[in-house]
Amino acid sequence: MVLDFVAPSPQGTSWGLGGTCVNVGCVPKKLMHQAALLGQALTDSRRFGWEFSQQVKHNWGTLTEAVQTHVGSLNWGCRLSLREKAVAYVNAHGEFVEHHKVKATNGKGQKTCYTAAKFVIATGERPRYLGIQGDKEYCITSDDLFSLPYCPGATLVVGASYVALECAGFLAGLGLEVTVMVRSVLLRGFDQEMAERLGSSLERLGVRFLRKFVPVAVLQLEKGSPGRLKVVARSTEGPETVEGVYNTVLLAIGRDSCTKGIGLEKIGVKINEKNGRIPVNDMEQTTVPYVYAVGDVLEGKPQLTPVAMQAGKLLARRLFGGRLEKCDYVNVPTVVFTPLEYGCCGLSEERAAQEYQRENLEVYHTVFWPLEWTVACRDNNACYAKIICNKLDNERVIGFHILGPNAGEITQGFAAAMKCGLTKRLLDDTVGIHPTCAEVFTTLEITKSSGLDIMQKGC
Amino acid sequence: MAGYKEVSVAGYEDFMQAVEQHNGKTVFAYFSGSKDAEGKSWCPDCVQAEPVVREGLKHVGEGCVFIYCQVGEKPYWKDPNNDFRKKLKLTAVPTLLKYGTPHKLVESECLQANLVEMLFSED
Repeated sequence: MVLDFVAPSPQGTSWGLGGTCVNVGCVPKKLMHQAALLGQALTDSRRFGWEFSQQVKHNWGTLTEAVQTHVGSLNWGCRLSLREKAVAYVNAHGEFVEHHKVKATNGKGQKTCYTAAKFVIATGERPRYLGIQGDKEYCITSDDLFSLPYCPGATLVVGASYVALECAGFLAGLGLEVTVMVRSVLLRGFDQEMAERLGSSLERLGVRFLRKFVPVAVLQLEKGSPGRLKVVARSTEGPETVEGVYNTVLLAIGRDSCTKGIGLEKIGVKINEKNGRIPVNDMEQTTVPYVYAVGDVLEGKPQLTPVAMQAGKLLARRLFGGRLEKCDYVNVPTVVFTPLEYGCCGLSEERAAQEYQRENLEVYHTVFWPLEWTVACRDNNACYAKIICNKLDNERVIGFHILGPNAGEITQGFAAAMKCGLTKRLLDDTVGIHPTCAEVFTTLEITKSSGLDIMQKGC
Repeated sequence: MAGYKEVSVAGYEDFMQAVEQHNGKTVFAYFSGSKDAEGKSWCPDCVQAEPVVREGLKHVGEGCVFIYCQVGEKPYWKDPNNDFRKKLKLTAVPTLLKYGTPHKLVESECLQANLVEMLFSED
């Protein structure tokens, strides 16, 4: 049985079966990212000989309708899959009332109890609010953006998470005026050199950054779809305040686990009180032996759809299929789908230095200029690739980073190579495919330690 | 017998007319390869699925409309540019769908009574 219930967002948004990824995450995000890339492609196309006289403009309604239609078909697909395997789906909020028993409350308030031998918690997370004046009344989050019934217009994105940067990226790519307000660093936890380069690529797209500010109040100047909002923000370094007027304020400052209000304390499932996440052993088992957990709620594990799916699949096989395989959380690749994509697998330079000591690392790097960008006259020093190698282990590749077009597609193969124990020598022995961006990894020569210049000249 | 209305049509134009006539109602549609003079369709899956669909109709709500649509002869169906494929985005027969929603069942899915029941009783 699946108990799935989506509590409406403060703006009233809700959705069907499939979780965050399908409804308000990866899927709609990637489609909107594609919409933005197509806009860029239209601009580039003129240099490749395409002639068109119309003013090219974007229709938000057409995009959201297409995206929601696809999401709807995925919701239906989930329903079909469950039904085909005779899994009962109950659209109700589940809460433990005692050991082995949950109370399910549906949208009409009707309550039903169910008992089971085993339980899996996969309740995920929801966007966090600031806790300031006007935040819940006037701000939206990623929960609302992908089905917003009006074009967001000039948008202030608060946050520097990948959610913030991806949304800022595609909104700017669709032609909207975008400002990003950042409290401290970009993409906390990610390689900071890559994060800063990514930030620069967004600036080149016209995104304005307000670094080291936090909002303290959101006021409504005018109602509307969109309306006009005034945001007052204070500097994190002094008394300076700044005010701005925007059509939409999008909060992307983090997500909180949905582990409160589901009765975990009644049966003794331990959670991390600070962030609500659930610690589990390497079999995804919580502190209560018949209760398991997978997905974004897990403490200390990457919060990614494929990780959740893999963990869930292997858990089911262990519980009911007589198999023993555990989920491998090491070297999980991930990509930030900003207009210029950032793909990575393994360690950031900071983590690698912490774990292995800087003198034991060799970092190979280069900027590169995609062939498609030459004719399009795009920046020749914006794309960047680096690998971090462990000198004490045959120059094993322990960190892979690429900022460039199609980083998502490029990174997948290298993640598999890293699982096979990729070394610098193996990369050098691999013949590149020409002309591509990915081939740069087969010809990396310059190390950071050499101090040699990697900047491209010309154009 | 559940309170639904059945409409029988043939071809795309007829189908769209029937949909318009019942605007505002919940419309289910079953697309099948056309039947010959003996009442047998050239599409074997459609022949198999029809009794399952008819059984599932018992679960449909009051006031719904069920359109039984014969799409045409096999060569017409196989043409990748026929109206059903291009305008309704149908990919195969049989297809059972709830018009105006992403709820649909295609080919062997139409043979599964539990899925058919789910589609008809969804709200």
